[in-house]
Amino acid sequence: MSSTVMTPPQFLAGFDEAAFDACASGEASFICTRREKAFNDYGMIPNPTSRDEEYRRTDPMLFRMGRYARMPTIATGRLQKTRRWDEAFDVVVSITDHRLGLSEDLPAGVTVCSLNDAATSHPELMEGYFMGAASPEEGRKFLELNNAFWNAGLFIHVARGVVLEKGILIHYDVEAEHAALLPRLLVIGEEQSQFSIIEDYQSSHETPFLCCSAREFYAHAGAQVKLVTLQEWGPSVVHIAEDWARVDRDAMVDLVSLSLGGKTSKMTVGCTVCEPQANAYLGGLYFANDKQHFDQKTLQLHAAPDTFSKMLYKGAAKDKGYSVYQGIIQATHGSIGVDAYQTNNNLILDKGARADSLPGLIINADELACSHGATMGNLDPEQLHYLRTRGIDEVEARKILVLGFFEEVVQRVPHAPIQERLHDMIERKLGDTDE
Amino acid sequence: MNKELIICDLHVSIDGSPILKGVNLDIKPGEVHALMGPNGSGKSTLSSVLMGHPAYEVTKGSITFGGEDLLDLAPEERARLGMFLAFQYPVAIPGVNVSKFLKSAADAIHPDGKVNATDFLKDLRANMAYLEMDAAFANRGLNEGFSGGEKKRMEILQMLTLKPHLAIMDETDSGLDIDALRVVSKGVNKLMDEPFSLLVITHYERILEYLKPKFLHILMDGRVVLSGGPELVKQLEEKGYDWVKEAAAKQQSAAV
Ligand SMILES: Nc1ncnc2c1ncn2[C@@H]1O[C@H](COP(=O)(O)OP(=O)(O)OP(=O)(O)O)[C@@H](O)[C@H]1O
Ligand SMILES: [Mg+2]
Repeated sequence: MSSTVMTPPQFLAGFDEAAFDACASGEASFICTRREKAFNDYGMIPNPTSRDEEYRRTDPMLFRMGRYARMPTIATGRLQKTRRWDEAFDVVVSITDHRLGLSEDLPAGVTVCSLNDAATSHPELMEGYFMGAASPEEGRKFLELNNAFWNAGLFIHVARGVVLEKGILIHYDVEAEHAALLPRLLVIGEEQSQFSIIEDYQSSHETPFLCCSAREFYAHAGAQVKLVTLQEWGPSVVHIAEDWARVDRDAMVDLVSLSLGGKTSKMTVGCTVCEPQANAYLGGLYFANDKQHFDQKTLQLHAAPDTFSKMLYKGAAKDKGYSVYQGIIQATHGSIGVDAYQTNNNLILDKGARADSLPGLIINADELACSHGATMGNLDPEQLHYLRTRGIDEVEARKILVLGFFEEVVQRVPHAPIQERLHDMIERKLGDTDE
Repeated sequence: MNKELIICDLHVSIDGSPILKGVNLDIKPGEVHALMGPNGSGKSTLSSVLMGHPAYEVTKGSITFGGEDLLDLAPEERARLGMFLAFQYPVAIPGVNVSKFLKSAADAIHPDGKVNATDFLKDLRANMAYLEMDAAFANRGLNEGFSGGEKKRMEILQMLTLKPHLAIMDETDSGLDIDALRVVSKGVNKLMDEPFSLLVITHYERILEYLKPKFLHILMDGRVVLSGGPELVKQLEEKGYDWVKEAAAKQQSAAV
């Protein structure tokens, strides 16, 4: 018999037992149990360090844990302020430091409520799905951190066959300094449902805080689900995110992550195509300027034959910006007819800017069509010259080329006004100089 | 406005190796000139230098357009003076929408820095119809997945949009089918309604029948070795470039 060595639990600064005890109060018992379990798992996973492969290029010291205090769980309320473009959506959720505001009248077949309310009103769904989408090879510290400490929990369920033309907007606007926001999202799209969700992260300028998000997405047979994340936090924010999706037979999921704001970001997007004809698209756009640091990892997991996944991440680095992309394609044994694509293109716009691209494959499939490619470089001088011969000055020509570079991903974003906003943000970043 | 192009004793090198070795050429407003010459003789080099491609080094000589020294000017400044090059090999720029790009170019060329959006679209549609192009091209990525001939047509669409005073067409006819050549030539001729001069680079007689140059020059090994009228092309088609060398030698000795 081997002896079990009990290693003492490890906690990230600011998220220890005392902090945990302070956060669990008056919640549904299901939620409390899950938090307890997650807190134990969280403690058992060693604190990540830059010696870990996953954190080699993004030292967890950069997160400056310990500077932030968890905000109390944000209470649900009525949707208050309506912004100009709220009309453009079927459902709007507005999350601020103090309130999780929900649309009053929801379309038929659509449930949008807090996780706590869902635990009471839809216990069977919570039981079956909550904390079940992730399929990591090893313990993920920040995922468990969120599972234990989340303070803005949202549940979205779209019933069988329901089609939302305009989709759902979740808008974050954070003002509190040195706070930790831990959004937790559970999305279930039943068979043949069709909808899009846009998560829009914004915060007031210069407010330093931590956002550690975890999201789970389930798309059942024939569902078509688009999830767009527009990360436009203020320039002093640390953003850590874990996204996990599961896609069933004939379903199609788009996971589009647009990283523009914040100071440091560490993002993981994992998607399992679980049944034949399941299809996943992972789109990414990131633009690191000034001293921004963006680290992203994608996992395309093929758990059945005849499954498809396509990943396209496009990034630019300017000034002293730094980006890391790491991708994994994995197919389980016996998977035939798997199509998996992985493309990562990087524009390095300045001498001081840097991008690392690490595509990887773990292939266990017998028959797999797989491609992965990465490009790295500055703007093409021939394209630049071509535009200039048409009267367009160099600054404008560069702008046109950078926008063109990103456009394939931008086109994946539903809602033209949001595409326009993306164009504006990219232009603004190009115009900014760190001198 | 006197938009005369004067190229005087132009020497050009790339990566240290000389390509153009003393080119002289004079194109007055309203004139159509043809430039022919064997592969590698320097025709595209000349067009690139005229538009200010940064890879080419002018080691000697001058180029002026309407009295302005072009060599001091950036490509975009040359375009704003009214110069246009239809490239032999137009680049593709995926993700850059054709109509947005054309609008940016039209804005940039316009003296007020902006054209009226409605007029622009009306113009664009008319020009595309004139060139018998499917309207769907306006919303595609620039030359993205275009066939060789479609790219050439796109060059001429840009030319019609920007209405230059002087255009250089570098083998626009290569790769165009018979109908496309007719359509493209019709498009170019439309520009002749206004004062417009043209340098047509080609290997074939056919486009010259449409564009009717008054002058024809033959470039060999980086020099214009023979200049004459359009009748030169017939002789060239019959006798090939060896004949040009002899004729050039005769012309030179006659000049001495
Ligand atoms: N970057 C370069 N480095 C070295 N040589 C070059 C470079 N670019 C062009 N050249 C050479 O310059 C010469 C002239 O080329 P150019 O493209 O001007 O010829 P051309 O007359 O247009 O030919 P074609 O009829 O085939 O289009 C060629 O011998 C070519 O190989
Ligand atoms: Mg050529």
